[in-house]
Amino acid sequence: MKKTARQLQKEQTRELLIKTAFEIFSERGFLSTRISDIAGAAGVSHGTVFVHFPSLDALMAEVIEVYVGKTAQRTHELADFGQTLREVLRAHLDGIREYEPFYTALVTENRQLPTQARDAWISLQSVISLHFSRAAEREMEAGKILRMPVSLLFNLWLGLIHHYLANADLFAPGGKVIDRYGETLIDSYLKMAESKRS
Amino acid sequence: MTKPSDYPLQDESKDYCIYCARPGGSMQSYPEKLEGTVRFLIRTQGIDEKAARELAVRTLAKLPAWKEQTP
Repeated sequence: MKKTARQLQKEQTRELLIKTAFEIFSERGFLSTRISDIAGAAGVSHGTVFVHFPSLDALMAEVIEVYVGKTAQRTHELADFGQTLREVLRAHLDGIREYEPFYTALVTENRQLPTQARDAWISLQSVISLHFSRAAEREMEAGKILRMPVSLLFNLWLGLIHHYLANADLFAPGGKVIDRYGETLIDSYLKMAESKRS
Repeated sequence: MTKPSDYPLQDESKDYCIYCARPGGSMQSYPEKLEGTVRFLIRTQGIDEKAARELAVRTLAKLPAWKEQTP
């Protein structure tokens, strides 16, 4: 059934709010953003936001689910072609690269976010850990990297990347962490994980 | 699901993906999927079992194939 002009406009406003909120969250973070900031930037009234989302938490959860979903899909597609751990790590960073400021806000604030938003964040880590664990287990089996619990190996990688992102103001002021350090971090991490047998 | 290899046994008529299928292609039961998700979270991310179980229940409740079956 064809949508009415009113339905189309409602959908467009909802998309505009999600896109505007994404931009503001990327710039200022989640916890310091108010509904009025998003309404003002989108050029709509405060009340219009509530027509589409019952609360700031609901809008936040929706924006995080949409953009985490895009990042997860992108990483999944890239990693699907990757067989080696190096290729999976590169796919991970390429997935982050497109939305780096937004991803960084998630790194620094995820503990304080509503459960639904935080769950979306952990789902993204699950997509990465799926590809990571497959590649890592293959390379452990082949004696290319050290044998250790795959969760520990994964968390070492995440800890490294997230530390650089969380402190982007120190590591890449005014620039992008992944562009500046991505390849160096992959090389250094793999060097540490390398088995002496290989 | 965007390509044949995302479907169980590459059967694109299925409405669930390879991660919800048994090796023979049939869909897992809710308890099987829940347990598999919990084990996956523990094995690949090192999440505590209780936290992993709570997370798995909430995650499955949002997926079309499982939301009706979530307790």
